[in-house]
Amino acid sequence: MKLKSANKLPSALAAAEATPLTELTGIELTGGYISDLLSDVLANAQPGVLWVTIHTHRNILSVASMKDIAAILFTCGRKPETAIIAEAVEKGILLLSTPLSTYETAGKLWKAGLR
Amino acid sequence: MQHGARRMKNMRARPTNVAREPAIASANFEELMARTPAVEKNLNPGEKRQVSFAQVLVFELRVRNAMTSPPITALPTDTMRSIQHLMKAHRISGVPILANEVLVGIVSIEDIINALDGGYINDPVEKRMSRKIVTLRDHFSLVRAVAEFDRHGYGRFPVLDANNRLVGIITRGDVTTCLMHHLERRAEEAIAKEAALAAVRAADEKAPRIVINADVKSGDFESAGKLSQRMREVLRARGVVPDIRRRAAIIAYEAETNIIIHSLGGHITATIDAKKVRIKAVDNGPGIENIELAMQEGWSTAGPLARELGFGAGMGLPNIKRCADKFSIQSELGIGTQLQATVFLQKAEVTL
Repeated sequence: MKLKSANKLPSALAAAEATPLTELTGIELTGGYISDLLSDVLANAQPGVLWVTIHTHRNILSVASMKDIAAILFTCGRKPETAIIAEAVEKGILLLSTPLSTYETAGKLWKAGLR
Repeated sequence: MQHGARRMKNMRARPTNVAREPAIASANFEELMARTPAVEKNLNPGEKRQVSFAQVLVFELRVRNAMTSPPITALPTDTMRSIQHLMKAHRISGVPILANEVLVGIVSIEDIINALDGGYINDPVEKRMSRKIVTLRDHFSLVRAVAEFDRHGYGRFPVLDANNRLVGIITRGDVTTCLMHHLERRAEEAIAKEAALAAVRAADEKAPRIVINADVKSGDFESAGKLSQRMREVLRARGVVPDIRRRAAIIAYEAETNIIIHSLGGHITATIDAKKVRIKAVDNGPGIENIELAMQEGWSTAGPLARELGFGAGMGLPNIKRCADKFSIQSELGIGTQLQATVFLQKAEVTL
């Protein structure tokens, strides 16, 4: 299933208790990818996915824009610095944060239909 | 036989003498069909079907594309003599007869010859016309029209639309001419497209070579990705397809982070020309002890800080190799490492 509109997207993200750190604009997600290894994301993530990670360093933005990743969801309540959020807005990458663990987050997103 | 005068209006581009040579046109048609290979049977899965343009056209084109329209008609009360004059004046071989807009018969050139021979050329048409008429519909494919010509042996068919109104007349010569005309047009289009592509290629050849340089400092994780991003912008501006852009960017990024994580500092250069991007990463040491091990996925010597930041997956070099069309690496302990990777560029299709 693809979440094609901003209308459907919030329900899946709400299920994963994710709050947007940047403005939640019309976005299309093609699925999800979980990894905390940047090279692994570079090698294996598909364009347009939601990337779930614990990393908040600005390198994630370089990797995300290189792979045309649409959104990044930080787990375990992590949030990047304000400067990085600003850079993400500039690059058109949606940032979100959830208090849940990566494992719980994945389960809830999957159940909500993000596949 | 032909409807020369009428046809000229429909096929403005064709010289008059071509359309007036029905015998040649007819011969061309037979020849064309004979040379057109039948669709191959018993193809293996995935094997490409070879279908010629002529075959596609003969299925795609309709009777209405080839017929002469509107047709020259006569009334049942006209004389056979007046039909003879009509045929001569318009260089046609058959005249449909309409009574109150309804098709009631047809007079062919054979009927006129018989009338001359039998001495009844001054009879009214309704006494002598053929009343058994085979018609075609304007939406029939040309392949069906050809089959009908073969089946009935007639030289021409009146063509009716969905409301049974006479809208045209079609001969074998019309089919050939229509087919030839379309083939010619497709050929002209193909030539024009080829010329446009050649122009685009010529412009590419002249595209200036761009060199992007960056010094990379050891441990400078903040700067990782800057050169990669600049390179991507150049490639995007040059119309390189996203997949190729991504591969080049991954190579540059991994090469950059390798220098940041593992070396004492170095330099990276991306050279972009019309056909390829070459990425060269050179560092000042300490060099890789065992390149074979370093090329193995999962093997990493990254320190705790790098690992904390998501590096050190042991995938950097394998990633570079996978993304590159050409790849080489040399390293000497105490001197440094030199890596070169090339990606051949592919432009987005030029659609015309």
